[in-house]
Amino acid sequence: MIMNQIHFLRRILVSLIVILIASTCFGLVQARTTESVSFLMAAPFADATQDLVKQFNREHRGEIHLHVIKGPLETEAMSDLAISSLLLGKAPFDGLLMDVTWLPKYAAAGWMEPLEGYFKQNDVDSLATGAREGNSYNGHLYRWPLTADMGLLYYRTDLMEQPPETPEDLVEVSQSLQKKRKVNWGYVWQGRQYEGLSCVYLEMIDGFGGDWIQPDDNQIGLNLKPGVEAAAWLQGLIDQGVSPKAVTNYAESEALQSFKVGDSAFMRNWPYAWAELQKSDSAVKGNVGITTMVAEPGRSTATLGSWGLTVIKGSEHVDAAVEAIRFLTNDSAQKQLFLKSGYTPTQQSVFDDPELLQQSPILAEFGRALKVVKPRPETPLYAQVSDVLQRQLSSILTGEQTPRIGMDRATSNTNQILISAGDRP
Amino acid sequence: MIAFLLLPALLLLLVVFVGPLFRYAWLSFHADSVVTGLIAIPNGGANWLRLVQDQRFWQDLGQTLRFSGVSVGLELILALMIALLLDQRWRGRDVVRTLTLIPWALPTTVMALGWRWIFNTPYGPIDHFTRMIGIGSLNILGDPHFTWMATVWADVWKTTPFAALILLAGLQTIPVDLYEAVRLEGGNAMVCLRRITLPLLRPYILLALLFRLAQAFGVFDLIQVLTGGGPASSTESVALYAYWNALRFLDFGYSATIIMASFILISLICVVAWILLQIIIPTHSKSQAVVEP
Repeated sequence: MIMNQIHFLRRILVSLIVILIASTCFGLVQARTTESVSFLMAAPFADATQDLVKQFNREHRGEIHLHVIKGPLETEAMSDLAISSLLLGKAPFDGLLMDVTWLPKYAAAGWMEPLEGYFKQNDVDSLATGAREGNSYNGHLYRWPLTADMGLLYYRTDLMEQPPETPEDLVEVSQSLQKKRKVNWGYVWQGRQYEGLSCVYLEMIDGFGGDWIQPDDNQIGLNLKPGVEAAAWLQGLIDQGVSPKAVTNYAESEALQSFKVGDSAFMRNWPYAWAELQKSDSAVKGNVGITTMVAEPGRSTATLGSWGLTVIKGSEHVDAAVEAIRFLTNDSAQKQLFLKSGYTPTQQSVFDDPELLQQSPILAEFGRALKVVKPRPETPLYAQVSDVLQRQLSSILTGEQTPRIGMDRATSNTNQILISAGDRP
Repeated sequence: MIAFLLLPALLLLLVVFVGPLFRYAWLSFHADSVVTGLIAIPNGGANWLRLVQDQRFWQDLGQTLRFSGVSVGLELILALMIALLLDQRWRGRDVVRTLTLIPWALPTTVMALGWRWIFNTPYGPIDHFTRMIGIGSLNILGDPHFTWMATVWADVWKTTPFAALILLAGLQTIPVDLYEAVRLEGGNAMVCLRRITLPLLRPYILLALLFRLAQAFGVFDLIQVLTGGGPASSTESVALYAYWNALRFLDFGYSATIIMASFILISLICVVAWILLQIIIPTHSKSQAVVEP
């Protein structure tokens, strides 16, 4: 009996080993023909593209297998993770989904593979105008956009016929609504000392006719008239009670909360807020409109966000990675991402799709905003440049210094950074 | 033989502590940033000269010291009170002992995110309360005069249990007969505390103090999530500044300089704190003076 059992066990063992060897051999053959490519993406994007990745792998079975590494939720945490792995030399991923502001820094550090050999002029021409910005540095194309992102002005359609167009109008409409006790606050935005504040300010300095860094002569425009006016206008919103004092610690989520419960007439936010405001817990569902930021006539601007895919230098699967990028950013993928997750498309043809427009009329508004996007200053030192601006703006908004003094300081600090880095004569 | 057995621990220390320390010291005399293409180039003492002239570093240092001093001071006082309470015998004590550990067991980022909404103006409960009792909206996280206090509060809430745990362990090593002797001599509870508890607890207080000082001086995650260093940079800590230089600005040379400077400073602070504690609480041998009737 016992002998029988041992015999039986031995047979199982032998068959297991045979299966193991066979599958290893098969696996080796498989591995030789299938190219494995991995992309690192922030968690929300990894979740949103899950179906597309499955589809891609089905269509490329035996040729390419795309694997998405799910990163952290937040943009900043994502950047830390990517930088830490890239610093170690050989990154454990072939592609990276990248925010628009990282690009010059990563390019200067030599971490990215130029892609102009793969994406030609006709590819670039197929992009919506705003989506063509922020993908290149020093004449090389490094990034192909997956989704566009831009600053928008949200307003309440039940409180006004038409949204205001100029900064003065916005204050006037807000104050009259507040006087009539229709809303507690006029306008909520991102006033916390972080990147969002730079985005808010960029729209205003452009709206007043200025530039953060002037494109023609590369001079800092912060302490010129429009720069000071923009800072003074934002500070004035708090002083006049149009925006709550607490806006000095508001990020996107705090502003959204205020607008969502119906406490505010206007909000500055990104396209993702639209889907949030359509949910059943939103008190303003069905009463929300979207437009571009208030500005002096003809100067309306939207800060460019946008995420795009890049290939890491030293990757052994550049061709396969580009193939995957093409798949994830083609028209049908973009349509799918827009309908399922509310991602703003980057291909012009998707904006022109009559069927899609009928299904989701808001797409037209996104398309209009994408036409007036403006990228933040494109320098490898952007993080420092933005940081000094945030510090000075936060001091202005909390009343620690006047707009004039604050913007003078921001200008001299920015110059200092650029000079010490050899970016200025 | 004993030295041989200590070898693994020693190796571990070398790898995770001494190694990085020397690396940072070396790096602090080099320019290594995105501008140099991430290659370390010796630049003499330029980083240190920049540090000395960097107003932002000194402002952050002042803010970090204020944060550490106030929060660790409050924590030790509260922790001593909690430890004394939890050392007594009473019904439900064991349940309460476990419950007090909850704040400490929570991840800092989660709890900081919680505080961000609790302190939120106007939707947080604290703002609701101050408006109800007629003080009005305080704008705690948006006003540079208040925000640092909010960070101290959140830190005290979270780490007091840790200090209390250490002190409680210390209290349990004190023999009960010592207290009985004082009672026999006619001393009251205050005398017990001053003559017995505090002197015998001193090594544990020191332990809690050093642990907490070093931790508070390096505060990062709490500030990063709660305020991001704002408003008007009023809550930025040295660790936050070093982190931004390294991972946001890709300026590793200067970041290493900040880290070395704060390493030297925190070592000094710990020595000073140790000496101060020797003076404030007399040692047990000196306190054997006669208990007054």
